Amino acid sequence: MPQMGESVNEGTVAAWYKKVGDQVKKDETLVDIETDKAAIEVPAPADGVLSAINLQEGEEGEVGVVICVITVEGEEAAAAPAEEPKAAPAEAAPDEEAPASAAAAPAPAASEADTSGNPLAAQPGSKLSPAVRRLVAENGLNISSISGTGKGGRITRNDVVAFIDGGGASAPAPAAAPAAAAPALPAASSSPTPAVDSRSFVPFDKIRKMTGDHMVMSKATSPHVLQTVEVDYHAVDAVRKKLSPQWKADKGYSLTYLPFISRAITMAIKEFPHVNSSVVGDGIQIHSLVNLGIAVDLNFEGLVVPVIKDCANKSVGQIAEGIKTVATKAKARKLTPDDMSGATYTLSNSGPFGTMMTASIISQPQVAIMSTDGIKKRPVVIESEHGDTIGIRPVGILAQSFDHRAFDGAYSAAFLNHVRQLIEQTDWASQI
Amino acid sequence: MAKLSYREAVAAAMAQEMRLDDRVIFLGEDVGAAGGVFKATLGLFDEFGPTRVRDTPISEQAILGATMGAAMTGLRPIAEIMFSDFFGVCWDTVVNEIAKARYMTNGDHETPLVIRSANGGGARFGAQHSQSIENWAMAVPGIKVVAPSNAYDVKGLLAASIRDPDPVLFFEQKAMYGNKCEVPEGELVIPLGEAATPREGTDVTIVALANMVPKSLKAAEILEKEHGILCEVVDPRTLVPLDTKTILASVEKTGRLVTVEENPRLCGWGAEIASIVGEELFWNLDAPITRITTPHIPLPSVDVLEDLVIPSVERIVDTISKMD
Repeated sequence: MPQMGESVNEGTVAAWYKKVGDQVKKDETLVDIETDKAAIEVPAPADGVLSAINLQEGEEGEVGVVICVITVEGEEAAAAPAEEPKAAPAEAAPDEEAPASAAAAPAPAASEADTSGNPLAAQPGSKLSPAVRRLVAENGLNISSISGTGKGGRITRNDVVAFIDGGGASAPAPAAAPAAAAPALPAASSSPTPAVDSRSFVPFDKIRKMTGDHMVMSKATSPHVLQTVEVDYHAVDAVRKKLSPQWKADKGYSLTYLPFISRAITMAIKEFPHVNSSVVGDGIQIHSLVNLGIAVDLNFEGLVVPVIKDCANKSVGQIAEGIKTVATKAKARKLTPDDMSGATYTLSNSGPFGTMMTASIISQPQVAIMSTDGIKKRPVVIESEHGDTIGIRPVGILAQSFDHRAFDGAYSAAFLNHVRQLIEQTDWASQI
Repeated sequence: MAKLSYREAVAAAMAQEMRLDDRVIFLGEDVGAAGGVFKATLGLFDEFGPTRVRDTPISEQAILGATMGAAMTGLRPIAEIMFSDFFGVCWDTVVNEIAKARYMTNGDHETPLVIRSANGGGARFGAQHSQSIENWAMAVPGIKVVAPSNAYDVKGLLAASIRDPDPVLFFEQKAMYGNKCEVPEGELVIPLGEAATPREGTDVTIVALANMVPKSLKAAEILEKEHGILCEVVDPRTLVPLDTKTILASVEKTGRLVTVEENPRLCGWGAEIASIVGEELFWNLDAPITRITTPHIPLPSVDVLEDLVIPSVERIVDTISKMD
């Protein structure tokens, strides 16, 4: 299973273009993989014969598991257990090909039957002690093949030792046996779940779940602070009004506020580089490139954040073009992992819905995110040498959430103020 | 082999060493004719006379000042501080003088002395006479710290402490003075820094000291019978020097560590052992290290409350049976 972008941990086989025994050519499309972020056509890495398929269509696998075997001419077919993947957990030959065969086992449909009421055993990420992790790593075991006899079904060190001693077939450790009967009761009674009415229950799909997990992780990781500035967009508006008709006619899409705001941000980052950084260990890594993540809604079916790379010196027009390209790809679900990785600063735009202000959650490991909300004509006091007057100006709020570990409110505030001044005072006609 | 009580073993060890070495003397409050308030030194005054077994005024500072001077000028004194709580008024002499003399004189002056003291709770003496202060002593570089859990170890370890060329704080758990076990009549010396393993097991390592050892052994029996959990009990016997080899080898075998101590929770010696094991054996641990301690409170004197706060057999069983 190829690595398909940051924070992608697994993929689902959507379709095989070849079957076992077929000849494959290097770079011809071999399989479609779906992740929570995109569907990807994976090309064959070499010429040869497809000698085994370990993950069938609809099956999910972690990044790094062997999903198929291509035998290059002159090599022996090397994946004996792969031919009967379903039977693998019980009958796997000792010490042989355990990762490949076992990875095929937890097929979504079969998992309920396979885990014998022990959900922890099927989840590699669940509560494994250092001793268990070490034994599993040293012996190249797949944790999902080992049943846990500890508290709450936890896999104990003895379970792993017994699994190894039993040549791969797990036998419950004698000492833990009396305790093994207990977990079912407390587990059921101690976590009362509200009754579920399947007619009105909407299960999280993968993108919803991944987004949720990332949001929880981000909030737990970064102390978020929200700061906002009110911005007068008349200077932007003047240029937009002038250029818009021709722009739309030439390019087929509107010239919105977003590329202007993006440009102001990239200019301000030059003065405030810490905003464009990541927390790494006990410090921040300041990024030399400014890669803007643009949050795109998929018709309420999820959120993706494609990236416009290297924006530091891009003009408003180039940024507008970049936004248009990634947004179109996103809506068509054609984003590649590369399109979605490497953002150093993110913009979230709820403006089209007329929102006033949004407190966004930082996309880790970045340290700040800007929400651009609705821009609306308002009466404002305009100061000039002839005295104060009241005028009608397009006004909106820019709201930045930042990671207080990375810098303080004064730094963020100065950055926001600079963005505001740039938006209000830049000669935008020269920046297109 | 005769059965001796913990208190009789104290006198036996001192008599053994006083017979072998004329330089060994003994001083403290009511230790002579009265044989000590805990009667742990009965018979010494009669056998060795008032020159070598001396009653002192009620001044712990004076006792330890005299003890240090005697040690620096050629004797091998044993001092008794009646309750270890009273180390509060002794700490300057112990920490700033006795513990540092060898270092600060570049080895010119040794302080071969033993300070015995009744330590620990469970005897209804209240907050000022029941503390377990072995962790205070453990925190001071330059002194050795002994805390035996049975009469056999009392005799052997006290003899070794008296022979040691450096200062030793010897903590006798006062609730254990009546505990008896078989102790050889002849010469017995147990080297400092060697842990004992009074019970072997494969599932959990319990490290316990002094009165927590018999409690842990009882708990281990129940855990095996009722829960099928096989505990190994390690008794370090001396906190300084600490036999980390035995502790680490045991935890390497079992993958689980529980410390049982009378010390209040913050900075008890169990925390130090947990830290050593966490650093050395992280990848062998199969469950979080667990400390069973007295809560961080002054000890109550009311019997039911004292029994509640000091780790009990029931608490040890309960904690270990619920471990991951």
